[in-house]
Amino acid sequence: MENKRKYVIPGDLVTTGPFRPEQNVILEGKKIISTSIGISEIYDDSVRVIPLTGKYIPKIDDLVIGKVLSHTSLSWELDINSCYVGFLPAQDVFGRDFSAHADELSSKLKTGDLVAARIANFDRTRDPLITISDRDLGKIDSGSLVKISPSKVPRLIGKRGSMIQMIEQATNAAVTIGQNGWVVISCESPEGLLKAKKAIQMVDEKAHIANLTDQVKEMLESKGES
Amino acid sequence: MASKSVIDELKKTQILELLEQGKRVDGRALDEPRELSIEINAIPKANGSAKVRLGDTEVLCGVKIQPDKPFPDMGDKGIFMCTAELLPFSHPTVETGPPRDDVIELARVVDRGIRESNMVDVSQLVIEKDKSVVGVFADIVVIDYDGNLFDACSYAATAALLTSTTPKWTMVDDKITLVDGEESPLPTTTIPVSITMGKIGNYIIVDPNGDEWDSMDARITITTNSDGNICALQKGGSDGFTQEEIVQCGEISVRVGAKIREKLKEAQQGSQ
Repeated sequence: MENKRKYVIPGDLVTTGPFRPEQNVILEGKKIISTSIGISEIYDDSVRVIPLTGKYIPKIDDLVIGKVLSHTSLSWELDINSCYVGFLPAQDVFGRDFSAHADELSSKLKTGDLVAARIANFDRTRDPLITISDRDLGKIDSGSLVKISPSKVPRLIGKRGSMIQMIEQATNAAVTIGQNGWVVISCESPEGLLKAKKAIQMVDEKAHIANLTDQVKEMLESKGES
Repeated sequence: MASKSVIDELKKTQILELLEQGKRVDGRALDEPRELSIEINAIPKANGSAKVRLGDTEVLCGVKIQPDKPFPDMGDKGIFMCTAELLPFSHPTVETGPPRDDVIELARVVDRGIRESNMVDVSQLVIEKDKSVVGVFADIVVIDYDGNLFDACSYAATAALLTSTTPKWTMVDDKITLVDGEESPLPTTTIPVSITMGKIGNYIIVDPNGDEWDSMDARITITTNSDGNICALQKGGSDGFTQEEIVQCGEISVRVGAKIREKLKEAQQGSQ
């Protein structure tokens, strides 16, 4: 009998049997062994380990916040808080009739700019392909960047977005969460901005605590009165 | 991966907007350095050492004193040399391998500040003229980077030198021989203090932190000695300083430097 979830460290045996190894596990003979520190999850036919910490590993269709590091005449390079550099082709911004001679990339995005982007393609053999040609994507002109651990992002969003909705409603802030752990908060009032920032950092620090939602709620409300 | 840190535009804008209101991102005054803590004798086996924390920047300096051959044109003077190095875990952008330009500059600026103030009295470090002298080597490693390495390294080296003890050597039958049990403090004449100022827009800020360092247009490092005289200066960055700004920077470096010098003296006295 195997329990469904347990804490594992690299080298730990997660399970044996006819399972498909997914994230952060390797198959050795019939044994499925963890490759990172985290919580193992066994499904009907597959096994994965959710890491407790670590850098961001891109996944197709993820919304990420990227920072422009540099550009060539054909593409931008984005820091997406990962071991991979995000690759944003110029055609994505200028359209199909992009000309490397006529169009200057820095006129649209320059070094240091933040963008909300989506991972268009990634297969581990090449750097992840990024796109910003979609609704709600593109350059971020205002707000404040907060960095949290990518593994805490699901906690920040909460079940069906409960956590982040609570923070947004209590502070009147608009929060854009990148799956890579970068979060941009924009808020009219400086107090709301500070409070939202504090709440997000609280989630990052206390992600493992059970009744975190109540604690965050308490913090948001107590500050609101003072 | 790019090996240069890029600051995001939003942060840069925020820093500038705050400066226009006379504020800084970490709440300091424009001419206020970060908190400085000095730990003397962090390396017990060295002739002298100091660990310095300047805000979140942390550096360690060890001093090695040993007999050496003099430079051919300076037979009546000992040797003083200062080096600096960044450890790969001090910052994500630092990598192993030969030092980058900014690290070479760091070592040279720190060395020059101390050398040109004539802090170490090298004329007293001669064992036999033209044959053998005492060499003093201050080696600095950066443990944690958060801007302004110039000052942190300079304070670490100065504090380590101030509290160094030098063994005694004599020439016996043309051989350098250690005189057992005779140790004396390293002969020093003054306490040089370097103050680094950054220029963002038209604002001059003292001791820029990591974010300010990445967003500043120009910087200037001025070292003053105990008499309040300027003995070394280094300017960097692509922007310039006006004459008035240079004068202002000079005044700041004397005023703020005096406070730092007191801290260094305190650390020196505390170690005795």
